[in-house]
Amino acid sequence: MKKKLSAVSVVGLVLSLAVAALAHDDKSNTKTGGGVERSLAVDTEATVTLCVASGTLQVRGWDKNEVRVRSLDAAQIDFHRIEKVKDTSKPPNRVDVIVLNKSTGANPKFDCQAIADVEMEVPAGATVQVQTRDGDIIITGVAGAYAGSQNGDITIERATKLVEAGSVGGSIILKNSSGRINLSSAGGGVEAINIRAASDDDTFEVGTVSGDIQLDRISNPKVTIKTVNGNMMMSGPLAKSGSYGLTNMAGDIVLAMPHDASFQLNAKVQDKQYIVSDFTLKYLSDVTPPPPPVRTKPKTPEAKGKTPETKGKTPAPTPKTGPVIAPIVVERTLPMSHVLRRVSAVCGSGDATISIASFGGTVRLKKI
Amino acid sequence: MTRCLDEAKLQSYFDGELSIDMMESVTSHLASCATCAAAARELEEESALVMSALAAEFETNVPTQHLRERIDAAVLGDRLAVAEATQKTSGLAGFFSSLLNFGTQRTLGYASLAVVMAFAAIFAVVKLNSKPEETASKQPEPARSVAVNTSSPNANPNPVSTGSTDSLALQSGTQSTSTAPTIKVHYTRPQSTTNAAAPKPATAPVKLLPGERSYLQTIAKLDSTIKSNEKDMRPALQVEYQRNLAVVDRAIAATRSAAKSNPNDPDAADFMFAAYQSKVDLLNTIADARLGGGRGH
Repeated sequence: MKKKLSAVSVVGLVLSLAVAALAHDDKSNTKTGGGVERSLAVDTEATVTLCVASGTLQVRGWDKNEVRVRSLDAAQIDFHRIEKVKDTSKPPNRVDVIVLNKSTGANPKFDCQAIADVEMEVPAGATVQVQTRDGDIIITGVAGAYAGSQNGDITIERATKLVEAGSVGGSIILKNSSGRINLSSAGGGVEAINIRAASDDDTFEVGTVSGDIQLDRISNPKVTIKTVNGNMMMSGPLAKSGSYGLTNMAGDIVLAMPHDASFQLNAKVQDKQYIVSDFTLKYLSDVTPPPPPVRTKPKTPEAKGKTPETKGKTPAPTPKTGPVIAPIVVERTLPMSHVLRRVSAVCGSGDATISIASFGGTVRLKKI
Repeated sequence: MTRCLDEAKLQSYFDGELSIDMMESVTSHLASCATCAAAARELEEESALVMSALAAEFETNVPTQHLRERIDAAVLGDRLAVAEATQKTSGLAGFFSSLLNFGTQRTLGYASLAVVMAFAAIFAVVKLNSKPEETASKQPEPARSVAVNTSSPNANPNPVSTGSTDSLALQSGTQSTSTAPTIKVHYTRPQSTTNAAAPKPATAPVKLLPGERSYLQTIAKLDSTIKSNEKDMRPALQVEYQRNLAVVDRAIAATRSAAKSNPNDPDAADFMFAAYQSKVDLLNTIADARLGGGRGH
């Protein structure tokens, strides 16, 4: 009898220890008001991935070293630790959050197939990689954010190190963030407000096919904006010695800058296009057509995600003394189609460089 | 569009059966109407459930409606032809036509006759092959020279020239990884004497601009990747793809025209390359999106 009692107490002790350990490290599927919630202790700078087929994903950075995931629609939430060296004594630095629907069950084949709205909290120093096909994505207060959606909108705020967001049809909004930025949408618009560089080589790149681009207060030292058919609007002060490259095939370009902006303008436009400037510009050259340079090697398609190449571009001419035109309105002179020209001008001491390549639409330099 | 979408239209939307315009209209309606979006989501969830349950059945190749219609039409045509022939034939012709009219017994008779003839043919062939030297020496020179190449597949990857320098058709790009010697059969088309003077159809070759070819090749590869599994593309993605593709293609056409009319202007070429690059980027995006993304580890 004594023996039996001691055996039962040992088993009970082991069980209680196991439960306590699990509760400390991985608070497993807890049903909260019909939903599922799960949390896991992770590294401060962990990388957390979340992927569903459809549904809104909300990610928020918090001051705990823990990932907490909630969903009202999902049947099950699992954490999958991705580590090169398994060390269970340390919190993981890479975790996949697997959300499963009731219909699919726990079959790992259905990873990224769930249709569910998910809310997730991660450490503020974490990098999140979030993907949904149809839903919206909202990310706030994390170090790094990779976000992808086919048709949903993406909103990211207060990212500190890196943002890469891509959508096919949805819009992208980025606010109050810093670091290296890359935003692309085919049909949706892109809006970025108050973006800074976290380090000297942090670039800011935006690209769309038909979506409009609206940027306000971008102070990264290198800004590249490309669209095929959208309008571009960039406002705010220019970074000193900043480089701004704007390329479009159609649509208007508007640059709204403070009255004391100092920049050099190098524009490649069609001859029939207007360049309208509120600024006093020293007009350096207006060549129609430019002299044919020696092409050594034809261009090749760039790999996706690569920084747009700048090689082969004509180096910016050094500012020379020229006639002062204030304000200048360069109007079309010849009714010929497809005659291109270059315009070089400088405003102030020419600190920043603005390179515009526009095949259609109006280029406007506005004072704010 | 203010009225809510009915279930039939939503189902057609998910099945990709609506026109592009209608798809665009439904997509924009779903983006603005919460009720319809919820209904669409429910329908999608049901469809996903059904699709996963019936995945095995769907993988089986079954004739499509169009194929069935074509088969029915062909069968009907044959029947009509037989009926017409039966009406027209009489007397001796009727006798011969009746020979071709298979009944069960007659079918068996014809089948056994065919088996006997096949045996006889095999026997004859075996007999002939028993004297290879004699027959080989008597064989006439073949019209097509056949070369057997057991060297590496990379030794001569493209032995037959198409003759068209502007052809945008691509090789598959896949090479056999097998270490076994491969046998390549090359043949040269015999010179036709009868059609030598006949004028070839006038195909105006597209003159490519310098550097354009590599973009076109990349685009063709990506395009074939997307088209290889286009049915997997969801309607909303298809709409966005088509809409933006049209935008990019217009830009390419415009910039290409400029580059062509200003051959010495590098800026014109740069605009064209930028437009091509936009298309490459778009196709890459769509190809990635079509695959559903995944976690991308």
